[in-house]
Amino acid sequence: MSSAEVLAAGEPPTPVPAAPSGSRRGLPPLARYLLVRLALVVPMIWVLVTLVFVLLRVIGDPITAAQGGRLTPEQIAERKAEAGLDRPLLVQYWEYLSGLLHGDFGRSLTDNQPISEVLRVNGAATLELSFYALVVAFVVGVPLGRLAARYRDRLPDVALRLFAIVAYAAPVFFVGLLLKLAFTPFGWPSSGRASTSTLLTLEQVHPRTNILLVDAILWGDPRYVLEVLQYALLPALALGLLTGGVFLRLVRINLLQTMRAEYVTAARARGMAEGRVVRKVAFRNALVPVVTVMGMQVAMLLAGAVLTETTFEWKGIGYALAEYLKARDFLAVQGIVTVIALVVCVASFVIDVIVALVDPRVRF
Amino acid sequence: MARAGVQRLVPGVVRQSHGLQRFMLLLGLGLVLLFVVVAVLAPWIAPYGFDADRTSDGVVFGAQQPPSAAHWFGTTVGGTDVFSRVVYGTRTAMIVIALAVVLSSVVGVPLGLVSGYVGGALDRVLVLVMDALYAFPSLLLAIVVSIVLSGGSSGAFGGIMSAALSITVIFVPQYFRVIRNATLSVKTEPYVDAARVVGVRTPRIMFRHVFSNVAQNLPIIGTLNASEAILTLAGLGFLGFGIEPTAAAEWGYDLNKALPDATNGIWWTGVFPGLAIVLVVLGVTLVGESLNDVLNPLLRTRAGDGTESEIQLDDDAAATVAEDVPTDVRRAAVLSLSDLSVSFSTDAGRVRAVRDLSFDVAPGEVLAVVGESGSGKSVTARAVLGLLPSTASVEGSAVLRSGEGRGSGPGDPSLPERELVGRSQRELRSVRGDEVSMVFQEPSTALDPVRTVGWQIVQGIRAHRSVSAKEARARAVELLELVGLPDPEQRVDYYPHQLSGGQKQRVVIAMAIACDPDVIVADEPTTALDVTVQAQILDLLLSLRDRLGTAIVLITHNMGVVADVADRVVVMYRGRLVETAPVDRLFAEPRHRYTRALLDAVPHLGREDGPEPVDPSSEVVLDVDDLVVEFAGRLGQPAFTAVDHVSLQVRRGEVLGLVGESGSGKSTIGRTAVGLQQPTSGTVAVSGTVVSGLSDARLRPLRSRFGFVFQDPASSLNPRMSIGDCIAEPLRVQTDLSAAQVDAKVASLLESVQLPASYAARFGHELSGGQRQRVSLARAIALDPDLLIADEPTSALDVSVQATVLELFAELQQRVGFACLFISHDLAVVDSLANRVAVLQHGRLVEEGPREDVLRRPQEAYTQRLIAAVPVPDPAEQRRRRTTPTP
Repeated sequence: MSSAEVLAAGEPPTPVPAAPSGSRRGLPPLARYLLVRLALVVPMIWVLVTLVFVLLRVIGDPITAAQGGRLTPEQIAERKAEAGLDRPLLVQYWEYLSGLLHGDFGRSLTDNQPISEVLRVNGAATLELSFYALVVAFVVGVPLGRLAARYRDRLPDVALRLFAIVAYAAPVFFVGLLLKLAFTPFGWPSSGRASTSTLLTLEQVHPRTNILLVDAILWGDPRYVLEVLQYALLPALALGLLTGGVFLRLVRINLLQTMRAEYVTAARARGMAEGRVVRKVAFRNALVPVVTVMGMQVAMLLAGAVLTETTFEWKGIGYALAEYLKARDFLAVQGIVTVIALVVCVASFVIDVIVALVDPRVRF
Repeated sequence: MARAGVQRLVPGVVRQSHGLQRFMLLLGLGLVLLFVVVAVLAPWIAPYGFDADRTSDGVVFGAQQPPSAAHWFGTTVGGTDVFSRVVYGTRTAMIVIALAVVLSSVVGVPLGLVSGYVGGALDRVLVLVMDALYAFPSLLLAIVVSIVLSGGSSGAFGGIMSAALSITVIFVPQYFRVIRNATLSVKTEPYVDAARVVGVRTPRIMFRHVFSNVAQNLPIIGTLNASEAILTLAGLGFLGFGIEPTAAAEWGYDLNKALPDATNGIWWTGVFPGLAIVLVVLGVTLVGESLNDVLNPLLRTRAGDGTESEIQLDDDAAATVAEDVPTDVRRAAVLSLSDLSVSFSTDAGRVRAVRDLSFDVAPGEVLAVVGESGSGKSVTARAVLGLLPSTASVEGSAVLRSGEGRGSGPGDPSLPERELVGRSQRELRSVRGDEVSMVFQEPSTALDPVRTVGWQIVQGIRAHRSVSAKEARARAVELLELVGLPDPEQRVDYYPHQLSGGQKQRVVIAMAIACDPDVIVADEPTTALDVTVQAQILDLLLSLRDRLGTAIVLITHNMGVVADVADRVVVMYRGRLVETAPVDRLFAEPRHRYTRALLDAVPHLGREDGPEPVDPSSEVVLDVDDLVVEFAGRLGQPAFTAVDHVSLQVRRGEVLGLVGESGSGKSTIGRTAVGLQQPTSGTVAVSGTVVSGLSDARLRPLRSRFGFVFQDPASSLNPRMSIGDCIAEPLRVQTDLSAAQVDAKVASLLESVQLPASYAARFGHELSGGQRQRVSLARAIALDPDLLIADEPTSALDVSVQATVLELFAELQQRVGFACLFISHDLAVVDSLANRVAVLQHGRLVEEGPREDVLRRPQEAYTQRLIAAVPVPDPAEQRRRRTTPTP
């Protein structure tokens, strides 16, 4: 997704309607805007969900894919009937859709687990990792992007742009490998979310969130908090640097574009100090396209999470997905991919709401 | 006209290229070239096969051997040579990238082109599907597709194809989106409309006009996608869904196998394939980014054509005619410029925008700085406040005499003098907005769209005065009231887009006077506004000057505005001052040749001798009957009626001037008349044949009956077609002339618009604005049309250029005798060439009749107001109007 971000910059993919002012009837503009956005998300969810279903059924039936060779044809037919896979495809599609409406994502074939249970446990881990990575990405991307824009085409800018490109060019599993090479000689933990004993202890926390940092804080022992953070450092860095490089380039190019706007010159002409002009005028305006494109990074973050989790054996949904893929358990894959599609859609809606908060042209 | 500051200021200036920029491009190209060579020569470079684990004489390499002379990069856990695998991996990567980029552009580009151009339900469905694919995590999509295609993994050819196809599925939406968006913006360009007007068929428009202008995006997307292709391929391999390891070497797979080694200190198995990925992606990305910097219109300044004036003077003739200014006056001036020069460094060397400029601004006077585009007037204004980009260098002096508490006011000789040229930004900051402030041309771009107007005023006040936020806000309300904004208490919290154009300019003026400046520099403050709004803003500026005693430097190209409000005038030509004089003297007896020529070129409403009405029994060429055009409103909003029951007729040999302010529906009528817009109800007939409501195919043979001239000469000619091709297009579409006949006709058409026949081989950007508009005229009359529609044909031109184009237009009309619907906001222009005039307001026809009646003896109140608002280039007349206001 990130390759198009240079092109997408300054040209938000969800066009901001230039709402004319003056008299109008009916709903307030913000409500209307959100309704329109919501109305657009629903068909998008439908398209994605249908796409997942169609693609994963084109391969053939999931039972044969998972168990082919190991079971006799009779056994396979029996298992298919059991799982309802011998019925017409349209009926199955209907059941899949109505299941989704009730929050039922099906069951895995290999270990016969409800997908929703896998999501509850592993989803929390992915959420935690994504949060750490976003923190790293913001801390790295936004200030450095501003710095690069400030020194446009001078040495700091060129160095930072090279850094951003390298951060993007290095696959997350290669960065992970380098981090492991660098940190393991000091005994730094480089796989898993915590040591086995800590994991066992934190399982007793009540209420248990599965977000280890929260669980450790609830348990109340700072050593556990420290250990959880220690384990999270390398995966968070690997995934965060990747996203941070993208943020850096986004902030830079959009800031440069808004710095050319006439209202920036106008602010200078009023005698505002240069720092304030950049902070209060240019940056705020650059934020609108930046937020929009950042929203699309959610998808990238999730794809990156699959690779990062595999690299660091971080047991999130990406890790689970990779495992089920290897086991050719396409019912489980279908459930997990569907959830990821839903998350992407919801995220794009949330971003639309944030854009409305940043940009008064949408609000009024 | 509303292009960002610098471009408007400095025509002909292209951004400087930078050494570092070039370094990045060369580095990228070098890396890409290196990898391509390695890929092609892989069997000769690699010492062993990609999956060989022993030498040709059977000696086993051994697993995880560190780098040595025999194995430069060591061996893998599987006992193969790392160097050979990296080299062969290059080959795999290059093949997959090439396939993926070619396949996805072959699918995505036509889809985007058709979807964007055709629109409608097809477009909506495609956008929905593509957006959904685009939003989906690309790697997951590739995995799913690769499973579908190959069941997970397969042999060399199948594996590479399925990897390439999986990646293609990810990229198609990206090509689609970029090409569709580009198509949408190109589609509305006047040159596409121009092709439609003459009946060019859709496939030809899509290829000749849209695709050729959209295609420049392809190298950028291609290179950027190539880098993502490598990362996706590696990701697939890493997760075990790429190419079967026995079929080809693949870096991602090797990295996966190397992962456990990392914790054991074995670095060589992972670092080398990883570095290969980083370097190749780096190279491709650097090339793509450099291409983007070169080609992205958002980052590129358009090469303009410098001075456009039709008035040509040599350097000797450009010598200054300045009034003698007594030295005591000079010392009393609040702002004195002496020998001010501004130059810009560009790719083409130094461009001198202002040369040796000297003039004074007396306290409380309105000094107009006039000149055509490229004369350096805006550059001068910004140079004084240090607001030019860093490529500018300013020499000479600009002295400000002002201060608090001493003497009798600004300009007092006892006040301290301050030099503004050469000051740091920090030092200038205290002057900007406090002693010298600015009013900008385009209020909608000069106001920050995401901050309330109150916030923006308060920021200006608190930059200079240490007052509390509450006090500053109270002052902001007071200022808004002063500039005549209704309900200032509420509107102080409005965002700019909630205000009208005139209200926005009032806000900009409120900001300019916030700190009681001694000088306001107003850079074309009314150019973007309608004429009635212009009159209000000029009234406001004058009343502020009277009440606050502020000197105003008014930069303008409009001689009517000069005559209306200026006390003294400075005339500039190509960066030089050519004449300075009090306003009455300048208009009464201009001394410089340039000033005389400029004043001669300005049309004067009420004094033009346009043609008489034509014989009412002549044949009716354009018959617009009870026309209604509505545009669908957005969700939950009523439709907008652009044209509201309008009936018009234009006869053979007649020019009907269609006038009105912005949003009055005049352009919509013109577009409907030539079938670019379908009416909601009512009919349009040309020479007795109804042309409205026809399909494109039915309308095509009728298209030869009308020609169309567009407003913006810069965009009405396809930048990728030669002038000759542009003019020949209607001939090729509508006639059976041979190639030689077409060429001869083009040459004679060029001659009839007074351009040399050799111009046929040139391209639009090589011509000046006036020349381009002549080409547009030649194209419009190529088929000897019965009807010519001219939509603001001279409003983007300088006044001297406008004069020659109008002259040519009148001459052609006399000779060819076409009927003409001449759409304009400029009543003086209409006064000079129309037989009849129709006045529109809010889509309704207000008044219509012979030119003499409508423009000299208007019956309707709106027409009277409109005419009264137009300032005429005569200071005595304007003074009379100001002292005895018209009812």
